[in-house]
Amino acid sequence: MAQEVATKQDYRYVGKPTPRIEGAAKVSGETIYADDMKLPRMLHARVLGSAYAHARIKSIDVARARAHPGVTAVITATELPFYHRNESNRRQIVLADDETLFIGQPIAAVLADDPHVAEEALELIDVKYEELPAVLDPVDAMREDSPLARAALSDVDRSEERGHVTTDVEQQEAEGQASNIASQMDFTRGDIEKGFAEADVIIEDTWRSPWVHQSYIEPHATIADYDASGELSVWTSTQAPFFIRDQLALTLNIPASKIRVTATEVGGGFGGKIFLTEILVAALAIALHRPVKYIMTRTEDMLAATPAPEAVIEMKTGMKRDGTLTAVQSRLIYDSGAFPGAPMLPGCLLAGGYYKCENLDIRGYEVLTNKASAGALRAPGAHNITFAVESHMDMMAKQLGLDPLEVRLKNAVEQGDALPSGQPYDRIGLKECLEAIGNSDLWKDRAKSKQHPNRGVALAVGGWLGGLQPASAVVGLNGDGTVNVMVGSADITGTNTSFQQITAEVLNVPLDRVGVTTGDTRTAPYAGMSAGSKTTYTVGVAVKAAAEDARDQMLKIAARRLECEPADLEMADGEVRVKGSPDKSLSLKRLGRLTTSFSAPYPAIVGRGTMTARRQAPGFSAQAAEVEVDPDTGDVTVLRYVIAQDAGFAINPLSVEGQMQGGVSQGIGIALSEEMVFDDKGRVVNANLLDYRLPTTRDLPPIETIIVEVPSEDGPYGARIVGEPSIVAGPAVIANAIDDAVGARLRQIPATPERILRALGKI
Amino acid sequence: MAKRIITLTVNGQPREVAVEPHWTLLETVRVHLDLTGSKEGCGTGDCGACSMVVDGRLVTSCLMLAPEAEGAEVTTIEGLSRNGTLHPLQQAFIDTGGVQCGYCTPGMIMAAKNLLDANPRPSLDDIRLGLAGNLCRCTGYAKIYEAVAAAAERMG
Repeated sequence: MAQEVATKQDYRYVGKPTPRIEGAAKVSGETIYADDMKLPRMLHARVLGSAYAHARIKSIDVARARAHPGVTAVITATELPFYHRNESNRRQIVLADDETLFIGQPIAAVLADDPHVAEEALELIDVKYEELPAVLDPVDAMREDSPLARAALSDVDRSEERGHVTTDVEQQEAEGQASNIASQMDFTRGDIEKGFAEADVIIEDTWRSPWVHQSYIEPHATIADYDASGELSVWTSTQAPFFIRDQLALTLNIPASKIRVTATEVGGGFGGKIFLTEILVAALAIALHRPVKYIMTRTEDMLAATPAPEAVIEMKTGMKRDGTLTAVQSRLIYDSGAFPGAPMLPGCLLAGGYYKCENLDIRGYEVLTNKASAGALRAPGAHNITFAVESHMDMMAKQLGLDPLEVRLKNAVEQGDALPSGQPYDRIGLKECLEAIGNSDLWKDRAKSKQHPNRGVALAVGGWLGGLQPASAVVGLNGDGTVNVMVGSADITGTNTSFQQITAEVLNVPLDRVGVTTGDTRTAPYAGMSAGSKTTYTVGVAVKAAAEDARDQMLKIAARRLECEPADLEMADGEVRVKGSPDKSLSLKRLGRLTTSFSAPYPAIVGRGTMTARRQAPGFSAQAAEVEVDPDTGDVTVLRYVIAQDAGFAINPLSVEGQMQGGVSQGIGIALSEEMVFDDKGRVVNANLLDYRLPTTRDLPPIETIIVEVPSEDGPYGARIVGEPSIVAGPAVIANAIDDAVGARLRQIPATPERILRALGKI
Repeated sequence: MAKRIITLTVNGQPREVAVEPHWTLLETVRVHLDLTGSKEGCGTGDCGACSMVVDGRLVTSCLMLAPEAEGAEVTTIEGLSRNGTLHPLQQAFIDTGGVQCGYCTPGMIMAAKNLLDANPRPSLDDIRLGLAGNLCRCTGYAKIYEAVAAAAERMG
C-alpha cells in the first residue's frame, strides 16, 4: 500500500487539505478573466475562417465589409505587419493567403468598436476558392496513392509538444518529402515472433478513438496592445506565458524584453490553452496601433482550436497460461490534422510502458489530414493507446480464466523496468495503485454486483510520463513580516496554493502570511509552461529553494541580533528564536522592518530558487467502475467509480483529489459520449455543447479517490506529476465494465447506445 | 439600431440601461453594467455559466434578450454575499474544493442557490438533478455535490 513519507506527520502545511488561495474571488465572481477586461480605445476582432477543408484562395474582396458602418478595419494577409512565417506551425501562418488547410483556418479579421458590427461585416467578405481534394481519413491518407493534405514541409516546429512530454528519443521526420505521414517512430525489443510462439493466447484487434475537444468552459480569449515605444502587451488565457512570449518574439521580430505576456486566469485549459490566437491578435494590434480583443465563439473554438486527435490502433498481444505477457505488437496511427504535432510518440511509449514484456514491435505514424491541427489534451495520446492495451489485458485474462487484477499485478512495470525507448523507470507506483484498487470496496463488492443482471465491474490502468522544463521563484520578506512569493507559472490547477503551503512550511509561518503571485513575462522569474503535469514538480522545487534561501538570510541577520550562530536558531510561530531559549527571539515583523525601513541596518531579504529537472516522475493510476447497461436501449449508467493514483506526496490533498476526479470525468466523457463528428467535407457537424456531449451531473456519480504516495526522487517533499494521469484509463475502464456487464466488447469509443446495441447484435 | 431604455432591478439596485434589441441580458449585465461575474461559455444556453436568477427562476441569461428583462428582478453572483460575508454556498464551494478554474462557478452557485431555495435539504439525486443544466469540466462534480450538501447543512 501507500508508502508514508517518514516525516509526513510532522509537516504543518504541506500534506494538509488547503482551500484555494483565490477561492473567495472566484466564488464571488470577482476574478478577472480575459473577456472581463476592457482597455481604452479597444477594438473587437471577429475572424473569417476558411469555408473549405482544403482549397486555394483565388481572391478576397473586402470592399463591402470595409464600407459597413462602424467597421474600423478589415485585415487580410497583405495588411499584416512583417512576420516570420513557418508553414509547419499554424500560428505562424497568421492569415492564410494561398492554400487553406482546414475549415475555420483564419483568412481575414474585421475590427470594430462593437463586436456585433464586426460579426455582421464578416458576412460581407467575399472569398473565392478553388476547392482542392480534402484528405480526411488518416488511414486512407497513408496510402501512396492518396492525395496530399498539403505541400511538403520543412523546418518542423515541435516546440509545443516538448512541453507536454519530455523524451530521450525523436521521431523520424518526413521533412521535404511529399507524404501525408509527417513522422514515424519504431521501437523494437526482443523477437516478436518468438513472443507470439510462446503465447497460449493471442488477441489481435483494431481500436478506434475519435477526435475529442478539451471543452474548457472559457473559450480562447486574447487581448493585445502595442504602444508607441514598441512594447507589446498581451493578456491571454494561457497555460504558457513564457512560451508565447518566445513565439511572439521569434515570429514578430520583437525582443523578448519588450514583450509582456500576462496569463490571465485560465477558465479551463487541459492542454488546449497553450498558444493559438496570440500572434494574430498581436499582429492586429500592431497593424492598427490600438488594443484588440478577440474572444472565440464556442463554435469557432470547436471548429478551429486544437482538439485531441483520432487514433486507429492495430494491436496484437500474446500471453502465457500463467499470465506472463510475451509479445506486444502495435501499429499506432494518430491523425495530426493539417500540421505536425500529434502525440504519436507518447502513444508508442505507453504501448509498451505499463507492463514488462520481452518482445515488442511498436510502430507509430503521425498523419496529416485537412482538419484543425491536433493539440494536447491532458496526457496527450495516452487514452487512445491505453484503450487498446487495457482492453487486450482484460480479453487475454478472460480467455485464460485469470483474474484481471492479478494479471496486471504480475506484469506491471516497476523501478528499473524499461520503456520501449530503453529508458528505465525511476521509482514509480503502478503496482501500489493496483493494490489499492484491489482493496477498494468497489472491487471487493464485485461478486455482489454480479447478482444484478446487466451490471459489470472492471478496471484498467493509465499513466503519464510528464514534461520537464527549468523553473525559478523569488521569495521576499515584507516590512510587516508577511512573505511574497513570485512565480512565472500560470496557475491552472491550484499550484499557487501549493506554493503557499511549501513556503509556509519552510518558513514555519501561518498560510495567511504568504501571498503568491503569478507575474507576467516582464516581471516574473522564468517558468516552463503549465503542461506535462510538471508545475508543482518543477516550480515547487524552485519555490522551496527560494524559501530556504530567504530563511537562511533571515537566520543570518537574526544570529547577529541575538548574538549566536544561525545553526542555533529555529523558525516557529512567525519568529526566529534560539533553540531551547524561546524568550530570545526576533519576530518576522521586526526582521521585516530591519530590512526594509529607512536607514535599515540590513539588506532586503529576497530568496532566489532556480532549478532544472532532468528526471521524470511518472504518475500512474488504477481505476475501477461499476456500470449498468440497459440491453434494450444500450444506455450505460456509471453507478460507482474509484480511482487510486500515485501522487508521490500530495502537497494539497484537496486539489490532488480534485485533479483525480476531474480527469476521471473527462475519461468517462471520452468513453461514453464525446466525439467530434466530421462530415464528408471535413466540417465538424456538432460544434456546440449540446451536440458534443460533455458529462453532466446526471452522468457522474461522486467519484471516489484513493491517494497513493510513492515518493519521487526529485519532487518537492516527494511530490510527482498529478494532473494528467487521471484521464487516461477511463475509456478502457468503461469498455471493460460494459463487456463484464453484458458481454459487448466495444472496439470503438465513445460507447454510444448505438454501438453497444450493434456489439450485442441487436441492430 | 435604435436603443431603448429598460429599467430592471439588479442585485437589489434599480438600474436603467439603454439597450439594443438584440443584446442579451448577459451582455447587458456584463458589458454595460460591468458585472462580469456571470460568464459566457457557449452563448447557446448549453453550459449554464451565465445562469442568473430572474424573478425567482433560474435563467441562462445568454438566451434572454435584454428587453425581456424590463421590470425584472435579477440576481447575479455579485448579489449573493452580504456586507462582505460570503453566502454559505460560496463558502462551502471554497472549503470543499468545489471551485477549480472558476469559470462555471458563478453559474453553478446560482443554480445551487435556486435549488436550495426550493428544496433546503436536497438528497444527492436532487442535487444531481438540480445542477444538470450547468457544465463543469474541472471537478467531475464530486466536490460540488459535497459543497451543496454542506451548505444545506449549514443553512439548517
